[in-house]
Amino acid sequence: MVKLDQINISNDGLTKFFSPIEAAILRALWSEGEMTTSELTGKTNIPLTSVAGTLDRLVKAGYTTRRTESINGRVRYVYEPVLSEEEAASEITTKILDSLVQAFGPLAVENFSKYSDKK
Amino acid sequence: MNILGEISCYGQCLKSWALFVSLFFVMSIALITASLMLKDPKKRLQTFVFAQATGLFAVAATFYLMNCSEMLSLYLYFAYVAISTILIFGTLRYYDRLMIKRLEAKPAGSILKWTQEFVDKLTSARVYYFDSAVPKAFAAGRSIFISIGLLELLDEDELKAVLAHEAWHIRHNSGMPFLSQLALMAFSSSSEPELEDQADRFAAKIAGNTALYSARNKVDKVFI
Repeated sequence: MVKLDQINISNDGLTKFFSPIEAAILRALWSEGEMTTSELTGKTNIPLTSVAGTLDRLVKAGYTTRRTESINGRVRYVYEPVLSEEEAASEITTKILDSLVQAFGPLAVENFSKYSDKK
Repeated sequence: MNILGEISCYGQCLKSWALFVSLFFVMSIALITASLMLKDPKKRLQTFVFAQATGLFAVAATFYLMNCSEMLSLYLYFAYVAISTILIFGTLRYYDRLMIKRLEAKPAGSILKWTQEFVDKLTSARVYYFDSAVPKAFAAGRSIFISIGLLELLDEDELKAVLAHEAWHIRHNSGMPFLSQLALMAFSSSSEPELEDQADRFAAKIAGNTALYSARNKVDKVFI
């Protein structure tokens, strides 16, 4: 969950920084906004037994919030992303840039400017 | 009745073994202290059982290795029984309060009013819910804990089956605290599958077979 020691550069897209289930949940929440648990399992096509623990972890890590609703004698969670997709991307980028500068100093900064010149 | 005199007498009777035996006593006391300080309930219980084992071993070793008076062995055994009884009853009595604090559990009556009323008819226990998407239910002390994940998943009849199952556990526990304590002291666990079967039979009687089986199907092995 965007811990620097768990970043896997060879994975695709979001799974470089999140587990596949975490990534699927975040993608669903970013596209839909608010979602209940059953909407999440339906949209991601991942069974509840695999999703439930991950949802607890995402809430604990601060990537999503949830509130409890009680309607017609049924209780349910409603999930909401804390960061937008752009905010999450910028948080991840900052973390990684920080660690690169910390490791390589001026050389890293020099490469960033070369990179942006190329663009 | 001079205990210090008895101990030094024992030191002489045990001779070369005195150091060995006292090492086990120190270890047992250290383990009990550690088990009181550990946060994780499972590790806590394991350490506690280990402490009991080393303590019991030390007492047994003293008894078999000594050559003179047997009074100290008796003192030690009584002290062991008294301390472990207090600790075990303390743990049983306060385990649910510990869980309420740890899970930040809240009374389930405040979110689903009928749950507490339903359990009141079966036994005297409090129903609590806690914040987790993982469907789970369990009984501890005189309290039943259910996760919001379970409330989300089950309909009213299925939830009644689960609550009846847990209520049976509480009835069963309160009936025989001495037996479960003895089982714990003898390091033998009571036969769990049989208890689960009896709890299920009670739940089926209260909430109906259909509700029980559909609850079991939805969340196999998450309510114990």
